[in-house]
Amino acid sequence: MMSGKDRIGRRAALGLFGAAAVAGGAVAQSGFPARNFRVVIPTGQGGGADRLARSFDDGWSKLLNGRQFEYEFFPGASGQVGYELFVQRRDADAHNLLFGNMGPEMIMYALQRPRFRFPEDITYFCRIDVDDSCVFVRADSPFRRIEDVVAEAKRRTLNVATSRIPHPASIGILALGDATQARFNLVPYGGGNPTLVAVLNREADIGVLPIALAVQQGERMRTLGVFNRENILAAKTDNAPSINAVFGTSIPDLYSSRAWAIHTRAIDRYPDRYRVLEQTAPRVFDDAAFRDAYEKAGLPIETIKYGDRAACTEYALGMIELANRYRAQLSAAR
Amino acid sequence: MELDFAAWADLFARSFSLWWAILPGIALGLAVGVLPGFSPQNTLIILLPVTLAMDTEAALAFMISLYCANHLSGGIPAILVNIPGSGGAAATCIDGYQMTKKGQAQQALVLSFVASVAGGLITSVAVLALLPFLSQLGLVLRSVEMVVIILFGLTLIAVLAAKDMLKGLIGGMFGLMLGAVGTDAVYSTPRATFGFLELYDGMPLVPVLIGLFAVSEALVMLEERFSGKPAAQSRAAQWADTLDGLRMCVVHWWQITWTAFLGLLVGVIPGAGAYIASFVAYQQSRLFSKTPELYGTGHPPGVIAPESANNGVTSGTLVPTMAIGIPGGSTAAVMMIVLQYQGITVGPRLFQDSPNIAYGVFVMMTVAYLLMIPMILPLARYASRVVTVPVHIIVPLILGLTVVGAFADREYVFDMVLALVFGIIGYVAVKSGYHVTSILIGVLLGPIFERYLLRALRIGQGDVMVLFSSPIANVLWAMLVVSIALPLWRERRLARRAAA
Repeated sequence: MMSGKDRIGRRAALGLFGAAAVAGGAVAQSGFPARNFRVVIPTGQGGGADRLARSFDDGWSKLLNGRQFEYEFFPGASGQVGYELFVQRRDADAHNLLFGNMGPEMIMYALQRPRFRFPEDITYFCRIDVDDSCVFVRADSPFRRIEDVVAEAKRRTLNVATSRIPHPASIGILALGDATQARFNLVPYGGGNPTLVAVLNREADIGVLPIALAVQQGERMRTLGVFNRENILAAKTDNAPSINAVFGTSIPDLYSSRAWAIHTRAIDRYPDRYRVLEQTAPRVFDDAAFRDAYEKAGLPIETIKYGDRAACTEYALGMIELANRYRAQLSAAR
Repeated sequence: MELDFAAWADLFARSFSLWWAILPGIALGLAVGVLPGFSPQNTLIILLPVTLAMDTEAALAFMISLYCANHLSGGIPAILVNIPGSGGAAATCIDGYQMTKKGQAQQALVLSFVASVAGGLITSVAVLALLPFLSQLGLVLRSVEMVVIILFGLTLIAVLAAKDMLKGLIGGMFGLMLGAVGTDAVYSTPRATFGFLELYDGMPLVPVLIGLFAVSEALVMLEERFSGKPAAQSRAAQWADTLDGLRMCVVHWWQITWTAFLGLLVGVIPGAGAYIASFVAYQQSRLFSKTPELYGTGHPPGVIAPESANNGVTSGTLVPTMAIGIPGGSTAAVMMIVLQYQGITVGPRLFQDSPNIAYGVFVMMTVAYLLMIPMILPLARYASRVVTVPVHIIVPLILGLTVVGAFADREYVFDMVLALVFGIIGYVAVKSGYHVTSILIGVLLGPIFERYLLRALRIGQGDVMVLFSSPIANVLWAMLVVSIALPLWRERRLARRAAA
């Protein structure tokens, strides 16, 4: 998945540097931001998005007149509450932002058809990370390889712990089942931590989650495979293979990506303000303090990957298309 | 990693030296806990910039003190004005407010304080001794076992309904119906929300709590004043009443101990809340009592059981956080952020890498509870004076504070309106002989019960026999049957004796 486009090359770096200089000037000229930012997080306090946003905002704040980020958490309905509230009840003035997990939340968007339109109402403009979906088990599980899991799932239906049914990792395991005639029964646990507990206490046979969470568990969990063409955390997961490579399948790359978002109307109304945000955010990735804070939050720095507005939009639209393809398995409506 | 005596002594000495962080934490926790709508995790999130700037141990001491004190003080408004400060204190209203009505507000407060502090102390020390065992316990109790544990709490509806079974069950079913509002636990599809975004998360606890208890109570107080009915008995606060409360605690020491352990066990299970512990403790306390008929009339063990269990939860919640690196609740999740920010990774290795933090957390909790004693006992004397405040002052105060509390939790004006709607429902319920606690139990426990039940059924792949597939669950089922059958058998025996 890591392509040339994702890396910040020399020219891009020079471009960013130039843009940063312009942005610095823009901050000084426009007087933006005039007050602290109010950020909607559509997941719970203390969760992955919360930790990630906080590790990012210190560096960003330095580039934005020292303005602080104030967080509000609206975790209901797989993020639907946070998104609807942001679009409908927060002023589109570029001082209100959203920090979301694009993958699961765009799947929610496709399945629930909420009262906002993407990308007409909301625009992601700065991707922070790419966290591949993976299949994992307890360290002492009888499943040593992903092939063992599929072989057993052909004999009996395996219970799979997942954070939510509308999640990239859930789509991954369903797609694997489709491709190999293995039977998987998804059991949603409502969050990464309860999913880990369900695998640890043997309630579920296997688990599917973004890989960073499984890696955080260290030796207690074993990652068996990733839903991506390359495992960027191979060194930390005992070289867990790409699932497509093992089975010759063509399951799309499935990952979670946290990103900053803004009202699309704010971009139209205040292009100068948006420019400041768009140009300062990439500079945070060069800040050693951000990487340090990211690591302190227990997240593997290999997953840090900047993505601009175009990359975010392409990914989000891809997720919506994927969710529509698996609608029957992912939603209550049959 | 085993610690020797000198290391333990050092941990205690270091924790006591953090008194400057513990005392403000306790004071803030007490203040915040009294107000419905202000949860410890929200307070800690607001104070995150402060705690992140503090030294790790001082930040932990501050957060833990705030958390424990918050659990303690939720019982104060429950006892004095029938308004639980949090869901965990809802069961305290049943007997606590009845004691206040009988002129025993100060004793009830002392019972609540001592049960809370003793419950917290006993369980923090127990955790230090039993940590390896307790850390595994959370991994043994799974969805099936949780279904039965929550059913213990739900059977309290039937207990409360004992005086008028039909009304009690109607109240409970109404609560369960309300608990089903919101997005479903499997597909996240909204149900019965009528398009209100504010209901997607389910029926919000704080406005329901405030409406059913606070607003309805204020309306009842107003009615009693205008109809000339005598208000709750009140008399001047005396130290003798504090001593009387302490005497009651000594008499019921065993009750405090076992309900604290019950709270600890529930707290160890990730995701299980204080209100499960307090309702189950109340139900079990009544079950094993020789005088179950006194429960609900202002019976001291009816205050002790939920309060002790509620605080037993505090140490239990931190066990999975420290031992397996998975937060047992939202407050623990916020504490984890602070620890991770300071470069400390929680989990099994913490006990080798930073024993001063891993064990220190529970030592700090023990010290926080010890320091709470001199702060709260005088509080009982002065707080009990609330009942002497005239109705024309206390009612607007209750309404003002609680409606602000309804807003503060999620910052929705909708929640203020909802609190008023539930106030009217609560008032009608009270006037027509329905028990508002039955409704609340349904709202509180219904969604959690549904979540675990659906999870268990999905694990069983649709086979209902999965509910009887685990030895631990089967033992719990047997205990549940006994706990339902025993009171019925006892009542029948008493009726037969009376007839003879």
